[in-house]
Amino acid sequence: MGVDLTLNGAAATLSSPPDSPLLWALRDERRLVGVKFGCGAGLCGACTVIIDGRQARSCQTQVKDVAGKTVVTIEGLSGDIAQAVTDGWIAAQAPQCGYCQPGFVMAATAVIAADPKQTREQALSQLTNICRCGTYDAIRAAIDHALGALNAAPSPQKQGSAQ
Amino acid sequence: MSDERKPSRGVKIARRTFLAIAGVVGGGLLVGAGAVAWRLRQIDNYKLPAGDGEASFGAWLKFTRDGMIEVVVPHQDMGQGIYALAVLLAAEGLKAPPEAVRAAPAPIEARYANPVMLLDGLPMDEAALTAPQRATLWTFDKILRTLGLQGTGGSTSTRNIAEPIRLAAASALDMLARAASARFDAPVDQLKIVGGAILAPDGKSATYGELAEAAAKLAPRAIAVPPLAIGDYVGKGAPRFDVPPKVYGRAKYGIDTREPGQLYAAIRHSPRLGGRLSRASIPADAAGVRGIVEGKDYVAVVGETYAAAMAGLDKADVVWDESNALKVSTGDVFAAYRAALDRGADYKPRWVIDAVGDPSGATGKAVKATYDAPFLAHVTMEPINATALVTETGAKVWAGHQSASLVQLLAAGAAGLKSEQVEVFTPFLGGGFGRRADLGYVVTAVEIARKFMGVPVQTIWSRAEDIRDDVYRPAAMADVSATLGDDGMPTGFTYRIAVPSITDQFVARAMPSAKGGLMADRTTVDGALFPFYGLPNRSIENLTVDSGVPVGFWRSVGYSLNCFFFESFIDELAAAAGAKPLDYRSRLLAAAGAYEPARRAHALLHRMGRYDQARPLAPGADGAKSGRGFALTECFHSFVGQVADVEIVDKTLRVRRVHAVVDCGFAIDPPNVAAQVRGAINYGLSAVLFGKIDFDQGRVAQTNFDSYPVLTLETAPEITVEIVNSGAAIGGVGEIGVPALAPAVANAVFAATGRRLRSLPLTL
Ligand code: FES
Ligand code: FES
Repeated sequence: MGVDLTLNGAAATLSSPPDSPLLWALRDERRLVGVKFGCGAGLCGACTVIIDGRQARSCQTQVKDVAGKTVVTIEGLSGDIAQAVTDGWIAAQAPQCGYCQPGFVMAATAVIAADPKQTREQALSQLTNICRCGTYDAIRAAIDHALGALNAAPSPQKQGSAQ
Repeated sequence: MSDERKPSRGVKIARRTFLAIAGVVGGGLLVGAGAVAWRLRQIDNYKLPAGDGEASFGAWLKFTRDGMIEVVVPHQDMGQGIYALAVLLAAEGLKAPPEAVRAAPAPIEARYANPVMLLDGLPMDEAALTAPQRATLWTFDKILRTLGLQGTGGSTSTRNIAEPIRLAAASALDMLARAASARFDAPVDQLKIVGGAILAPDGKSATYGELAEAAAKLAPRAIAVPPLAIGDYVGKGAPRFDVPPKVYGRAKYGIDTREPGQLYAAIRHSPRLGGRLSRASIPADAAGVRGIVEGKDYVAVVGETYAAAMAGLDKADVVWDESNALKVSTGDVFAAYRAALDRGADYKPRWVIDAVGDPSGATGKAVKATYDAPFLAHVTMEPINATALVTETGAKVWAGHQSASLVQLLAAGAAGLKSEQVEVFTPFLGGGFGRRADLGYVVTAVEIARKFMGVPVQTIWSRAEDIRDDVYRPAAMADVSATLGDDGMPTGFTYRIAVPSITDQFVARAMPSAKGGLMADRTTVDGALFPFYGLPNRSIENLTVDSGVPVGFWRSVGYSLNCFFFESFIDELAAAAGAKPLDYRSRLLAAAGAYEPARRAHALLHRMGRYDQARPLAPGADGAKSGRGFALTECFHSFVGQVADVEIVDKTLRVRRVHAVVDCGFAIDPPNVAAQVRGAINYGLSAVLFGKIDFDQGRVAQTNFDSYPVLTLETAPEITVEIVNSGAAIGGVGEIGVPALAPAVANAVFAATGRRLRSLPLTL
């Protein structure tokens, strides 16, 4: 018994109670502690994961909701978009305490992946996460960096370094 | 004894508070200067223990087996970047690349005490110390160092460790060079240092790692450390080593502790402050539940996962005893403040901390205003939590905190063990802001784990519990009045704040037997004390009014209250004098004469004026009113000026842009200084726009980010930071962005609308 899904690229079964929050199944059962607890009420975004390509608050998702779905946590993040986003985050030296950052990175990756050609304003308006350290200017710079990198004319070197 | 217990005469009083601290630390009483001197020598000779293949270079640096240079940090990293700063200083001093240096938590030893944090709390003007005050500071410093209280707070970590690390690095480099000189048989001045290796004239070379063992055996020499100046990394900054792990989600916080066999506890406190638990029970068949713990004022359900523990707690039958609970409501607190302020000079306890001349005889045009500010919660992004493992012979604690030595002491007490039997593990902190200086949560987590001997238990506060069990930024109210002469300049100035004593409450919580009320709580008046403006005939007073609500240190502490009250009032005086805000402040600074803080503040004011010219207020959108406000402050030995641009549409206030001018003496890591100031401005802005904790008959009204909103990307302003290296002694950075923000915004609202908002959060 359990809920079958694709978790970070591999088939997995969650045995936590089907009506319990995905957040704690990931953190306690799967030890995926990059998924953070911030509010437990869908208000802060610290627990953001990507479910079937969309950003989702894992504290507001029940285990049974992800049956047969593809769930990606910060631990399993990969691909060109994720690379551009995390590179942007590092270039902007965004984190302070860092606790909100994985959730932000997940949300930003899902938002940008949906449309890499969107404007910064379009992308930013879909990021509703909270950062208590107030790193918002740096996050704006990180988004600029990521969108810039994805929309720059591809250079052979760049392609080589993307995974 | 007179009613006005003036701390300037209060060396004796201060000593008693110090003894209270002594008790907290468990250092016992120290008798005689000889004992202190002996103990200090012992402390100063402390060396980091070195294992096989390691070489210790004293208290701050060692070379490890894997070829890394390790610098130890007796502070916690809560986002302020102190670990990265230690790496940067060690790399600079050793002329090694930052990648070759790693930061590690310092052992819990007296050598790593933070006296700075406590000395800053003494009610004296550091810029104009009298000889007895200097002697008091010197003595306190020595005694605090022997007690060895470690701590992170009060924007002190850089001030506390930058110089020792610079000295240690210079000394280690000298020892390495001497070891190379012996090895290559070449004089030191003919050696070259290249990227972590030493080169002899004949082309032979040895890495630091190869030289470390021999070098560590040499006796350190007296070394002159070059003054702080821009170097390869210092004054420029370097990429922070903690950034990639934080971005990739690999950085571990207290809440990420996962020990073998670990259980999880969900906790609930009495709904009313001060309530007690009568009894609690849980259905025997609750899935995944291992037990219930009945605390004095809490109940905890322990489960195999946190979800199971929470579900169990929801099913628990809990009965509270609220007969002695606090019944106070927010309105009662402010009514008590009002009553105290109405009694004014007759109220007790009243502390006159900063008195010059006599305002009572001053004549001129009277200006009066009353300000207030609410209770605030910290809401660190990582909710409060701690993990503990207790056995008969020892305990381990994993927690984000702001004092390793206090965690050790309090955990030992809760586990029934000796301090030395407690091991403390400190991961990254998901925010501190002063919340994690108050360690009741560690005691609670150890109590819970003690019921499961031999099993690690992680106790997590839900967000509602995190807010309910907080120690709040105190609410306060202030009456401020002045008289203005014909030239518009103040002839008398009285400032009276009604507020509880944070320090008394903090000491009482950490050591219930300590007696409070012995000394003025300077921390609650900071921001109004010893102003850099020329204010003759002034009296700056604290009326201590405690309504029983637990209060604690909240990022920038009293500055968050008093800078708002004080710098708003200065704007009111400017308006009353018919002067522009910047011009009026310039006149007030000039009136201070040759007072160093006034000179530094004036330099910033000039830059604010330049910014004002270069980047005028942008016109608002259609139908919007826009305005620009200014505020200037000295805090944590740094100076900050802020210029805020606001836009008002109907009842909605938006802060569009903030420009900060910062003089922290010398910015060792400028990008991080800017980041800290930006972050603190956003932290302060959450409070200015939304922050408010209310009590209804002792119950906390707010429970999560919906009822206690904070800033998001949408509401966060664009912030620019201008750093001035004045060359003064290093000041603090982590909190300095908060204080001037509130008055700058309120002053901008006045500029936009002509309305003076005197109450936080600002409501139109
Ligand atoms: S923890 Fe899920 S949104 Fe805050
Ligand atoms: S970096 Fe600390 S909460 Fe965002």
